[in-house]
Amino acid sequence: MALGGTAPPRGSAAAAASLRRRRTTSGGASGGAAGTMLQFYTDDAPGLKISPNVVLVMSIGFIAFVAILHVMGKLYFVRKEA
Amino acid sequence: MAGLRFIASVVLCLLKPFLRYLPKVKSASRNLTFWRRLIYTAIYLFIFLGCSQIPLFRTHSTMDADPFRRMRGILASSPRTAMEFGISQIVIARYMYFSAGSRTTKNHHAAVRNAYQMILGIIITIVQAFACIKYGMYGQLGWVDSLCVMIQLSVGAITVIYLDQYFQKGYGIIRSGTSLFVATNICCSMRQKAFSITRINSERGDEFEGAVIALFHLLFTRTDKSGALYEAFFRKNLPNFSNLLATVFIFLLVVWFHGVCFLVPVRSTNIKERNALCPIKFFYTSNMPIILQSSFVSIIYLFSQFLHWNFGPNHFTYYVGNWKLCEHSGQFIPVSGVAYLVTTPSYAHIAADPFLALFFMLLNLLIMVGGCAFFSIKWPKFSGTTAKEVLEKIRKLQWTMDGLKNSEMESELKRYIVTAVGWGGICIGALTVLGDLFMGPFGTGAEILLAATILCQFHDEIFEEIEDH
Repeated sequence: MALGGTAPPRGSAAAAASLRRRRTTSGGASGGAAGTMLQFYTDDAPGLKISPNVVLVMSIGFIAFVAILHVMGKLYFVRKEA
Repeated sequence: MAGLRFIASVVLCLLKPFLRYLPKVKSASRNLTFWRRLIYTAIYLFIFLGCSQIPLFRTHSTMDADPFRRMRGILASSPRTAMEFGISQIVIARYMYFSAGSRTTKNHHAAVRNAYQMILGIIITIVQAFACIKYGMYGQLGWVDSLCVMIQLSVGAITVIYLDQYFQKGYGIIRSGTSLFVATNICCSMRQKAFSITRINSERGDEFEGAVIALFHLLFTRTDKSGALYEAFFRKNLPNFSNLLATVFIFLLVVWFHGVCFLVPVRSTNIKERNALCPIKFFYTSNMPIILQSSFVSIIYLFSQFLHWNFGPNHFTYYVGNWKLCEHSGQFIPVSGVAYLVTTPSYAHIAADPFLALFFMLLNLLIMVGGCAFFSIKWPKFSGTTAKEVLEKIRKLQWTMDGLKNSEMESELKRYIVTAVGWGGICIGALTVLGDLFMGPFGTGAEILLAATILCQFHDEIFEEIEDH
């Protein structure tokens, strides 16, 4: 991660990940299940939640809005000149 | 430092009641397929690029030199668009959060940490937007225009904050949105320099700005083919083909170095006779030294530019940095003082006075390479990748180093890591200077190094995931 400060950076993460790959499947499965359980309880913070689609729609709407403003501004300018 | 820690912890305390009102991002469910995440990544990238290309509405153009030019590469920002701030608000928010000290932050779990950083990012966005408009970066704006521009800047920057959150929560194929945006921005600017079809009127007639386009155009339209080839390869005022070749060469060099690693033999503790090799990469701290050094150089530039423009050229600014307009690129470059020492000398300087320029180049090489090595050596302590911590991680995953006593393991690992960190830092510094010397208008050495290391990291991450399935 380029600006890692929160996540373990590449050196040890790559080392750890490549070692993890070589674990047996049974160990991995039980470890994974316990991991998801814990994550379910600790990962989400209280408060309003938004899904990715909301932000997608809002951003694309914003881009379209600014583009339309530009177009309208140019047209209005031309019309005012004429 | 203690004062900063105090201020940061006070700010965090003040922000605590607002955490619950911030719209947060929920984690991705475990069964999002790779293709769906790829599509999400593409859409987020499209949004980022869209915001970077659309200029701000209602700004007035100014002829001022861009004070943040040097930082734009590492911050994924496009000047005078909604992405004016790039990822700077995320970076500053993270820095402020972590400077509150581990006493305040060690009890926060990941979700609270994210929420704090998001709120800090939003506040920093608004402050930055206000400061930029007030400083006059977009000309003297009236009341309505200022509000318009401020809303655009804020919405753009807050969108980037949320997009980065989505990457972190697992909706994309990679974990880090900031790296993706930085790499995309750099690649876009290089694509523009190489393939742009803008015609520029120069004293040699009409020419294309893009290096590749210009090569073909000059070869086909000029009668003097060797002269045309020479011009396409070595023209000074616009991106030329030799710059492009240098860029590609440095990119390939970085990709090669990225694959260099020390292999430490490890043995599993719970499975009998199971051996593996733990890789310790040569670029151990990957791109952090470049980022840190680039920021350091940018701060020196900002400071010396501020002094130069506000207090005029005088004896003091001679030592800190005097700035002059460069005819070739139309940008301001430092010509004396500390700011000059941290800049790689350009062709013009080397041609004008070879011996002095050589001396300054050696000095500059020493400073840049030494700086990179210094940041590279100091970084593992901040990011938790010292030998002791790596050994703990290895032990936690139930591996141990082969053929060594417990007490010797840490010093053996340290031997590898110190070599990787020191020499890796020196190599990165040397590659950055090489890039600065030969890439010309394509960008600075730091940019190509950043882009290359980030793309290598993505390659590792994505192919690891594909192999896992």
